Amino acid sequence: MTQLALVIDLNVCVGCHACVTNCKQWNTSGSAGPLLDANPYEADPTGTFFNRVQTFEVGTYPNTQTVHFPKSCLHCEDPPCVPVCPTGASYKRKEDGIVLVDYDKCIGCKYCAWACPYGVREFDEQRKVMTKCTLCVDRIYDEALPESERKPACVLACPAGARIFGDVHDPESEASVAISDNGGYALMPECGTQPANHYLPRRKTALKIQNEQLYRSANPLKVEGTAPLPPSSEDFAT
Amino acid sequence: MHHKTFAQIEIRYFYLLLVLGLVVVLGGLLAAQQMEAHGHVISGMNNQVVWGLPHVFAIFMIVSASGVLNVASVGSVFGRHVYKARAPLAGLLSLALLAGGLMVLMLDLGRPDRVIVAATNYNPTSVFAWNVLLYSGLFATVGLYLWTLMDRTMGGWSKPAGFLVFIWRIILTTGTGLIFAFLVARQAYASALLPPLFIIMSFAWGLAIFLIVQFAMFSWNELQLNPAIQKRLKNLLGLFVVSVLYLVATYHLTNLYFSRQVAFERFILAHGGLYTALFWGGYVVLGSIVPLLLIFMPGLGQARCVLLASLLVLVGAFSLLYVFIIGGQAFPLLIVPGYTVHSSFGDGQLASYAPTVFEWALGAGGLGVAFVTVTVGVRILNFLPHDDPRQPMEGN
Repeated sequence: MTQLALVIDLNVCVGCHACVTNCKQWNTSGSAGPLLDANPYEADPTGTFFNRVQTFEVGTYPNTQTVHFPKSCLHCEDPPCVPVCPTGASYKRKEDGIVLVDYDKCIGCKYCAWACPYGVREFDEQRKVMTKCTLCVDRIYDEALPESERKPACVLACPAGARIFGDVHDPESEASVAISDNGGYALMPECGTQPANHYLPRRKTALKIQNEQLYRSANPLKVEGTAPLPPSSEDFAT
Repeated sequence: MHHKTFAQIEIRYFYLLLVLGLVVVLGGLLAAQQMEAHGHVISGMNNQVVWGLPHVFAIFMIVSASGVLNVASVGSVFGRHVYKARAPLAGLLSLALLAGGLMVLMLDLGRPDRVIVAATNYNPTSVFAWNVLLYSGLFATVGLYLWTLMDRTMGGWSKPAGFLVFIWRIILTTGTGLIFAFLVARQAYASALLPPLFIIMSFAWGLAIFLIVQFAMFSWNELQLNPAIQKRLKNLLGLFVVSVLYLVATYHLTNLYFSRQVAFERFILAHGGLYTALFWGGYVVLGSIVPLLLIFMPGLGQARCVLLASLLVLVGAFSLLYVFIIGGQAFPLLIVPGYTVHSSFGDGQLASYAPTVFEWALGAGGLGVAFVTVTVGVRILNFLPHDDPRQPMEGN
């Protein structure tokens, strides 16, 4: 069974929010939208965002790192939001594993938001239905688009290439290879929800240099103690 | 100088109360209309606190609607005459509270216009969907029960109907508790203690409401409640208040034993601001200890003390539910277990919630529906408990 998902490289993400804005633009204009924007230019803006980047400070000053952490629906293989929905509006597609909300069946009870351990359900306060990341399902199968553009809007927007889209059940896919090669992990595996989206961890790029590499311990000059004399002209004469 | 007796002017008081109740209901409906027109953006709810003050009102009324039937169950199921005389009033109160609670619950939905969708697209795995059936079923079973109580030709059926109501309401309150008990995502919930806690809370809150209404009806009719009955009912209320306190203490103490829950418990019990104040001041002191003193303290325990104790139990009920529902959502999700997480918003941040006037009005509107239903009900039908003075009191 195909399981489409995002793989997000936390080592690469710089927190530019390009994925957030492109996601918002595509989805507010497409079949999932419009998405609410309340007080967008005032002190307390709010609205519906399928994808949000949160920034954490890890460690204690001065030993700190900043981690930018993009989070959207993780399209769990065993999604807790689906069985709790009283009308069955939340469902998981068999063909590609995407978890979706049928807006026409959602009564806005918000119980799925209670059940999601990741806090990624977005109640649209104007349309009064529950919304969430669709993995741009209206885009990835659109044959009117060039094949290279049949990817979620956030993936296309990421300038650093921190987002990879693919089938995590196909071991040969770019997403699966990235997970296996870089120690990719799922968020909160102890919940048993088996999130399809994975994160690649922060990795320090360090080169270990031995002293021997800087200083030739086998240098014959060191053993002899004095530098050899340069060859004299007589030596060449013979 | 001619003085009108209360009997001569009581019709005016009745209409005054009715108008007051209807104004509150109208306020609730207007608030719902505003939320329908503008969306939930005019409420204080957000993506972290998805259920706000209206749910506190709704759950209070639904839980109490089940608990108030306790009086009827003791009469019909366990055959106590003192309680059986009160069964019709308990049934009316239950229907009224359920109507009020469900009105708030439905109008607080994002799309109340899609109730028909909830009825036609039933997901059997959803505890929320189970409760749709349980709430509708309570209406039917209590209606049937009231029929057997008020129609003399149906008298023989009152015991089986009472038994059906007894079973149904226990399952219903279990279902309401399960809405929270099944939630593994948030730290405040996911506990098998919650269904029994909800059941015992329903007993306490339902009886407190019953005692308030009974006091009002007896005062209105210038009647005096038999002191022996008064004593029995107040002792029962005291027992229920102690039982709730015990289960709430058990719930928090067991949580304190689990290290992953300690931060949440410290938030609720120690430094949660409004939530901590409501828990200790509103629920523990005002809603439990003071009522217990009013009930059991030597020299106290008279009718007015019991009335005050009952009112305070309801103050405690709202405080506890506010802390349980809103406080449980305000505490951030444990996205990165084992780490202390700070962020400028969202994860790692305590959610803020301030109910708006629309939410207050909608919640109060539900109480208004219950109030109007009871006021009209007791006016047009005979729901006043009639105690037979010759009836010997059963043993306690």
